[in-house]
Formats: sequence, C-alpha cells, structure tokens
Amino acid sequence: MPGEGGLGEVPPRRESIERRGSRLRILGRGFHALSAGVAVGWLLLVALLVGVLAWTARSAIRHSGSFLLLGAEWDPNRQIFGAAPFIVDTLLTSLLALLLAVPVALGVAIFLSELAPPRVRDVVSYAVDLLAAVPSVIYGFWAFIVLVPLMAHTVEPDLARTTGGTLLFSGLPLGVDLLTSSLILAVMILPTIAALSREAMRAVPRQLRESALSLGATRWEATRMAVLGPARAGILGGILLGLGRAIGETIVVAMVIGGGRTYPTSLFSPGTTLATIIADDLTSAAPPEVSALVAVGLILLGITLLVNLGARLLIARERKESEEEELPAHSRPRGLLPPPGAEFRGFAHPGGAGEAEAVLAEPVELPAWRRQLQAQLPGRLRRRRALYAAVAVLTLLCTVLALAPLASILYTAVQNGGRAVVTPSFYTDTMAPACNPATEHNCQLGGIGPALQGTLILIGLASLIAIPIGILAGIYLAEYGRNRFARSLSFLTEVMTGIPTILIGTFVFVLFLAEDPSIAASATTGGIALSILMIPLVTRTTEESLRAVPDSVRESARALGFPRHWVTLRVTLGCARGGIVTGALLAASRAGGETAALLMTAQGFQYYSLGLGRPIDSLTLVIFTTFGTPYPNWQEVTWGATLVLLLVMLTIGLATRILFHRHTAGAEVT
Amino acid sequence: MEGPKLQVSGLNAYFGSKQVLYDLSLQFPDRAASAIIGPSGCGKSTFLRCLNRLHEEVPGARVEGSIRLDGQEISRLNEVAVRCRVGMVFQKPTPFPNMSIYDNVASGLRLLGVRSRDRLDEAVLASLKQAALWEEVKGNVDAPGIRLSGGQQQRLCIARALAVQPEVLLMDEPCSALDPIATTKIEKLVLELKRTYTVIIVTHNLAQASRVSDHTAFLYLGKLVEFGPTQKIFERPDEALTESYVRGRFG
Repeated sequence: MPGEGGLGEVPPRRESIERRGSRLRILGRGFHALSAGVAVGWLLLVALLVGVLAWTARSAIRHSGSFLLLGAEWDPNRQIFGAAPFIVDTLLTSLLALLLAVPVALGVAIFLSELAPPRVRDVVSYAVDLLAAVPSVIYGFWAFIVLVPLMAHTVEPDLARTTGGTLLFSGLPLGVDLLTSSLILAVMILPTIAALSREAMRAVPRQLRESALSLGATRWEATRMAVLGPARAGILGGILLGLGRAIGETIVVAMVIGGGRTYPTSLFSPGTTLATIIADDLTSAAPPEVSALVAVGLILLGITLLVNLGARLLIARERKESEEEELPAHSRPRGLLPPPGAEFRGFAHPGGAGEAEAVLAEPVELPAWRRQLQAQLPGRLRRRRALYAAVAVLTLLCTVLALAPLASILYTAVQNGGRAVVTPSFYTDTMAPACNPATEHNCQLGGIGPALQGTLILIGLASLIAIPIGILAGIYLAEYGRNRFARSLSFLTEVMTGIPTILIGTFVFVLFLAEDPSIAASATTGGIALSILMIPLVTRTTEESLRAVPDSVRESARALGFPRHWVTLRVTLGCARGGIVTGALLAASRAGGETAALLMTAQGFQYYSLGLGRPIDSLTLVIFTTFGTPYPNWQEVTWGATLVLLLVMLTIGLATRILFHRHTAGAEVT
Repeated sequence: MEGPKLQVSGLNAYFGSKQVLYDLSLQFPDRAASAIIGPSGCGKSTFLRCLNRLHEEVPGARVEGSIRLDGQEISRLNEVAVRCRVGMVFQKPTPFPNMSIYDNVASGLRLLGVRSRDRLDEAVLASLKQAALWEEVKGNVDAPGIRLSGGQQQRLCIARALAVQPEVLLMDEPCSALDPIATTKIEKLVLELKRTYTVIIVTHNLAQASRVSDHTAFLYLGKLVEFGPTQKIFERPDEALTESYVRGRFG
C-alpha cells in the first residue's frame, strides 16, 4: 500500500494535499466572486427595470402630471391621458375577488391542514397546487366559454331581479364585465391564498394542537385556539399576496372585462384595468401614448409593490417568530422573570415529600359547580361535536367549490380538444384557413406546430439565461448571505416574484424599442422577458433548498479539512440538488404558461420561426389570439392547445411532486 | 385502599403496521406519582398518550386492549370527556402563543362552557397557586404566556391542565427542555400534586424518577419489563435487565 513505507514518505504527500487544497481554495474564491457578481447583476437588472420604466414615462408625467392619476378620460388621439377609471376598475375587481376568495380559501386551508384524513389531504393538496399552476390564459379561455354565458344568461339577470336592479346590479347583463372578472380572479387567487394559509397553519407545532386536544377541545376548537391565532400573520400575508396577484393579473381580465374606458356605473359595466390597457394598446401606440402607458405601468408597479411588500413583511415576521420558538427555552426573553434571589419564593420547605406544605393540599372533592359542569358535559358535548361536524362539512364544501373550476376546465378541454390532441398532424401543421362547415366542405383542422416550436425555443432561451443566474444568485444568498446586502437582496427577490408580468414585457419591449426597434418583437426579447420572470423563482427555490441543508453538514465537511467554497460546491449543492432541480422545472413551466410578458415581446407568428430576431409564436399566444373565434376549426385548435398545455403542466406538477416528495420524505416524518 | 385509578391490561399500540407497545398490563394507584422509565424509543411517550386517547389522533395510529379509569373503559367514553379527566403536560412548554397567562389557564374551563368571570378568576388563581406560579406572575396575568421563561411556561402549562380539575395528570418528560433550577421547581410541584392527583410522569432522568415517584415502570422495546415500588425497582429489581438499566449500564 502507498504511504506504508514509514515516516519518510509523509512530507511529499502532505505537500501535495496542501497544493491541492490551495488550488481548491482559489477555485472556490473565484466561485464566490462569480456568484456575488451575479447577485449584484440581478440587483442592477431590477434597478434597470424601474429606471427604464421611469425614464420612458417621464414625458407623459411632465405632460399630464396629476391628471394621469385623477383624470377620467383616455384619448390618445387628443393626447389626453387620465387613468383614474382604470385605477378604480383595478381596485374594484381585485378587492371584490378577494372578498369572494378569502372565505373559501380559508375553508380549504383549514380542511387540508386540520381536518382532512392524510390520504385525502395529499391528493387534494396536489389538486390545489395544480389549480395554482394552471396558466392564466387557460382560466381566461375557460371563463370566456363557460363562465361568461352563465353569468350573462343566469347569474346576472337573477342578481338584477332579486336586488331590483339597484346601483351595484344595474344595467345590461352582458357577462363580459367587472363582476365576471372579479369572479374569475377569485378562482385564480384562491389556490395561492389557500396554499399559503395552509402552510402557515402547518407551521404551528403539533404539540400546540395536542395541548388543546388534551384540555378537552374538539378538533375544530383546537384549530381555533391553537392554530388560527399563531398562523394569523402568515394567513394575512397569503391574502395580501393573493391581492397583489389579482391587481397585476392581465390576461384573464383582458379576456372577460369588456374594455369599457369610463368610470363603472355598476358591477355589470365593462371595464379596463391598469394591466389590460397596457396589454391592449402598447404595441400599436405612438410615442406619446407609449410614454403614458408606461406611466400607467408605474402606477401598477407602485400598487403591487406596496401590497407585496406588506405581504412579505408579514410572512417574514411569522417565519422569524416560528424560528424563535425553536430556540432552547431558557434562552428566550424573560420578560416576567422576578429579580434574582426571588427564585425560590413560594417554597418554604425545599425538602422531600414528607415536608410538603399543608397549604396546597386542596380539597379532593370537586366543588359543586365543577360537578355540575361534569353532569352537563354530555349535553354540551353533543352541541360542540355538532359544531365540529358543521365546520367539517362547510370546509369540505369550500374544497369542492374550489376544485370545481379545475374539474370543469379539464372536462371542457378534453371534450373540445380531445380529438385534436390525438391527431398527429395537429402537432406539426400551421394554422389552417378559417372555415365554416355550414358553407364549406373539407374544413382542415390545422395545428399548433409553430406554437409548439415557439414555446420550446422561448423556454429554452429563458432557461439558458435564468437557470445559471438564478442558481448562482441563490447560492450567494444562502451560502454567503449573512450580511445586510444579501438579506435585502433576498427580500427584493421575494418581492420580485409578485411583480405583474405585463410590466416585465413592457420593460423589455420599451428597452429594445429604444435600442434596436427591429428586434423589439422577437424570440430574443420574448426569451429575455421570460427569463426575468424565471430568475427570482429559481433564486428563491435554490436559496431555500440550500438553507434547508443543516449547518452541521457544512461543519462536518469543513472539519474534514475541505475549504469553505469547495464545501459549498460539492457537499451542500449535492444535498440540495433535488430542490434546485424542482425549482428550475417549476420556473420553466411557469414560463411555458406565461402570456402577458410575451404579448409585446414575442408577439406571435403564424408560421414556423424564421430566426431569433423575428416574432415567434407560443401555445399561450395562440389561445389568447383565437379565444373568441367563431370558426369551429380554430376553436378546436384553441382547445387542443389548451389541453396540451394542461397536460404538460400536470406532468411537470406530478414529476416535481414525486421528485420533491422523495427529497423531503425523511423530513416530514419527524 | 380503593381500587386503582387507572387499570391497563393487554395494551397494544401501533403506528400503521408497526407495533410499538406489546401487551402492557399495569395498574396506577390513586393519589401517587408513578414514573415510566426506559431508553429512547421504548414507547414511553406512546404509552402515556394512550392514557388520554391522544395516540389515536395521529393518522394511522391504533390501540388495542383495555384501559379503565375508575373502572370505566375509556374507549367507550367520549374522548373529550376522557381528556377532561386526564390532563397532560408536554415535553416542551406549549402555552398558546396568542393568549395571555390568564386566558391560557382559563382556556380549558372556557371550553367546558364556564362564562362567569368570578368563577374563572377563582379557578385561575387557584390553579396558578397550585402550580407555584402565582407569586411570579401576579399583577401580570394579562401578559402573553410566551413572554415567560421556559420553566415558568411549563408551570403555566401545568396550571392550565389543573384548571379543569382533572383526576389524572400525565407528564411527558416535563423537564427535558428546562434548566436545573426550573427542573427542581417542577419536581417539587410533582411532590405536591401527587397528594391530590394521580400523577404519571415519563422521564429520561433516572434520578428524577427516584426523587418524585412512588412507583416505577420500566419499559424496554415496547414491553413492560417490571413495575413496582420505586425503591424496589432502583435497589433490588427482580429483572436483570432492569438492574443493568438503573445501574446505567445501557440506555
């Protein structure tokens, strides 16, 4: 065996180890610098986004001033830009959506976290996660086909009749209006709120519930006493995050809100939100209007940032609190500790059992009132258990209600797009000419070949940019992030995940419009926009997976003599691999379902892509541009595209769940 | 002497398909402290959690056999009714974080439907005194329970369990998260409480078991090895296994 030849051979070996060690150290330093550089670059990009938007908006702000916020007229031809009705519509729809979604979402969260049997909980949680992953363009399409007629013919006339057509419910019930928008927004933000509330409730230690149970609480009483209180901040954070999502949502609203540009007169009025006016007008706008629209984007950015900031602060506060809970009991603040020396007051005889004070010998018999309570217990218990049963049924109903849209979406998509999906040429053909079977024979189905190609190219481009940047930034934040800069950057990244994607599209479009208009609408800009959307997602999941690796693992590796950065590269990253891959996959699937950021960047194209500098199609853009078509063959293609997108999302969702489950299975048991 | 307070016979407990307790039979006498000792993972806590039917709240968990409280089969009683009579204190202090000291102690009675402020005041005062916490928190009972130190929190939890006036008090390693001073206080408290209640305490700390208990059960790998007067278990146990455990040869 080498090295067995006595002490003489040790020095050369040690030298080689040291050389190797110093090489690793240099490599690691370089890696540290690289990841820090990427993190700073990410910060600069965010600054650039805000800067470019502000710079573009400055002429409109100078021109219109406060009229932009308060003016009620929007007429690009006369250069009158007053966005007040859009602000009103935005706030109205999102607040109404919140009002509709929160009770149901809380019911779902309570059901999933506290009441459901484990097997039901697993399946339903997966379904709720899927609900959150359904692309907004699919919600919009479904709402347009299923919800709008329902609202126009049944719900809205009924509402008008029962309320006598008063203020809120007056006017013609068209179905494309503020009420329908609020409803579909509620459906969309419901899974977000439910998932975050459930997480906040699951974070409450189990022993707290058991304490309540062992005091004689029913499950519902234990939830109320020991879970809802401690989880309050997290639940509130989830609600605010849902509100932020509703405010910034573009596509769904654009498809069902109807486009009215004056103040709403009732919930049946068509409207325009801050996000939809940008989606509708930006690509065809002349420079003064572009500036005004970007100013509208700034208003939107301001509102969503405020809401998201509030949400993240609440969630972060709760996270910090639950971490404090983990501290050993005696290192917690001792607000009520008596002065030293008073410690043993109340124990006059610190001796054994025989010397125990007679003062504390309580009467063994229960007092009369307590006996009476014991006697009343069966009757009261029946009522308490009935309440528990009622709550259980109610939360179950909430869950069914929350999942109903998913079922309906899947059903309609399979029904209308099922035939297209099993037709091989559907995946390769371009759009066929519009065809009306009543007047023409031989209608061709056509296909989504260019859209599939485009989606793959866009996701590929975006992943190429976003995954390395996101992982490096995540490594920096988790491994070197014990300073104020990194903490702020981590928080900023979290906030960035809630930024309306339409603003990302606007930023990229405006930036390239100023630099090189010829490629402002192209695969390149589309990929860049999607990557900006993906970076914070990848960064966050990387950071979280790395943080989940216990410090003891790092310390053990360093105790073996490995240099710090090398530990990061090999040991820690190895442990967190599953979580990081999952995060990247989920981010890519989010990008695949994105529409708003592509509206002005990729812009859509009827044929196979002609190059990265030219416009390009995507599955989501196909759905968005043909959703209202009267031609049956185009309708079928739209449904087919919807089904393909849904199936891909389902598969990725399932894959990541299996991957992630394996990854965390050990942790969940303890 | 009347019959035993709690009579366990032929108790088997499972997590899913994994059996954790095998055919346990023993009797806990009234108004005495019994300790349950044994190495980690021997089923001490599970056994304790069977006694107030908390074990069955864990998904997949199952219990077989008989547990009688004053001669009544607890599986036939309502689990809420059982837990009103059998209180429990956990390893880590678990005050409800959103409640004041007062509300924590009163929470069990409020569940029972007590609304009268006078009655609650009276019961909270008595329980805090009984748990030897009153002197340290009087004038401050509206402060949040989590502002207390660890030892104080644990006594708060004991006060909370006592407020509903249970007959049996289960304690699951109540001192393992506490410093020595706080531990001493809890131990003294147990010595007081066993004059009024049936106290069953799971502990890792053999010295603690010998200090506070009258009877001791030794569990090993889910089986009851030996149960008897504490002095006997520690000085001249019948089983060789018990002897080597209490002498510190394993565990």
